[in-house]
Amino acid sequence: MKSLTIRNLSKTYFDPYAGAHVTAVHDVSLEVKEGEFVSIVGPSGCGKTTILNMIAGFIPITGGEILIDGRPVKGPGPDRGVVFQSFALFPWRTVLENVAFGPKMRGIGRTERERIAHEYLALAKLSDAAGRYPNELSGGMQQRVGVVRALANEPDVLLMDEPFASVDAQTRMTLQEELTRIWQDRRPTVIFITHDVGEAVFLANRVVVLSEGRMLEEIRVDLPRPRSWDALHEDEQFKAVTGRVLQLVRSA
Amino acid sequence: MSPLLQAWSAYVRLTVRWPSIASIVPFVPVAAVWWMVTELELFPRVFLPGPVEVVRSFGSLVYKGILPEYLQDSMVRLAVGAFWGIALGIPLGILVGTSQRAHTALWPLLLFFQAIGDIAWLPILVIWFGYGLITMTFVIVYTVIFPVVLNTVLGVRSIPITMHRAALSLGASRARILWEVVLPGALPNIVTGLRNGLGYGWRALIAAEIIVGTSGIGFLMFDARRAGSVVEILLGMIILGILWYIVDSWILAPIERATGQRWGLVTR
Repeated sequence: MKSLTIRNLSKTYFDPYAGAHVTAVHDVSLEVKEGEFVSIVGPSGCGKTTILNMIAGFIPITGGEILIDGRPVKGPGPDRGVVFQSFALFPWRTVLENVAFGPKMRGIGRTERERIAHEYLALAKLSDAAGRYPNELSGGMQQRVGVVRALANEPDVLLMDEPFASVDAQTRMTLQEELTRIWQDRRPTVIFITHDVGEAVFLANRVVVLSEGRMLEEIRVDLPRPRSWDALHEDEQFKAVTGRVLQLVRSA
Repeated sequence: MSPLLQAWSAYVRLTVRWPSIASIVPFVPVAAVWWMVTELELFPRVFLPGPVEVVRSFGSLVYKGILPEYLQDSMVRLAVGAFWGIALGIPLGILVGTSQRAHTALWPLLLFFQAIGDIAWLPILVIWFGYGLITMTFVIVYTVIFPVVLNTVLGVRSIPITMHRAALSLGASRARILWEVVLPGALPNIVTGLRNGLGYGWRALIAAEIIVGTSGIGFLMFDARRAGSVVEILLGMIILGILWYIVDSWILAPIERATGQRWGLVTR
């Protein structure tokens, strides 16, 4: 896992309906160290998904630069794993084949890539689902597959785009706890996009508040790990940080 | 328990044991009505023969070896035409579906030539190739290819962009994405295109055999008209229906069950 540097990043595009140029992201700079977990939080339309799509290389940048370990990003690549809000699992592949997809693309033989996939499925407690197709799983299980599919490819940076937004509230809390556990175990560098302030604080070492394409503030989160909702629910420090972030988001 | 209920429960148990019986049963009342109409002699027997005569004619045509030969001719023509229609149609559909340039260049042509119906080609084909397999293969390929191409394009274009993005960020090259994402993602639509294409192709084949044929089920029916044998015409029609039913339930439906339905891309 390597570091990520974003310098003066901006994105403008031409809106054919408005007949004008629109700035979605304006002069954003961010340094994410190896093994760090950073949440980017902000209301809908603040540009957070645009930033993630630019880091992933899905859309071109129009200003500034994005560097992974000093190398500029050019298009999508396996050095940046992505977890999608819509899961984006391949419906025609079993759970095992989905997780083994990245290693397969790297040219790893069947036995070895299936060993890797089984290892990661065990990490997410999904071993029993290995032979099933994604549509046979619940939303929560599908997204667990989405997370380990990205991790199994051992990316330098893990990019997560509101990954738990489309699962129910109870499942979401479980997934968040599991993610912190997996993060502690594997220590990937993570950029986590969300509009949920509690989620952003619960997961991250650092929360970046975004508004109208600009960075408002960065807040350190020094809560002890392992984190669980049972412990943090009534925690004064957690409440204080969450309140501060919420204030920023709402004032934006 | 009333006898009616007993009969019904026996039927239900029977269809659970042999599900194929359930697909034959709907034809029983149709055949019964047909039989009654002919027994009442509402129409002259020569114009509307009954099921018994048709079955008898089936037996005699099989015995003479005419029906097996004609059936084989029709099936081989359909298979050859379908093969080329699929072999050309799917790659063309994927090209037009994935490349904007190919789409701009080929889409108007596709729509133009689609409008010239299959049998509208027959007059000129007969002049070019005469009465034979080439003419008939051309017509079937022509008929099969458009539904396959258009549905493949639709299938390719309806794959969510996140599928492409997921594959790219897992390290797939553009070429591997064709095989790993585009083809399976478009498969349910491709099967729909096949089903439509083969259905149209089957009809076009019969039309071609009637017009330019020297053998085949279509020719059998046209030849029977010349001889005034309504029995054989009816037999031909029934065979058309049965054959299509077999192609659909033995080939197309299993493909659908194994792909789109299994993956949850189409609802049962």
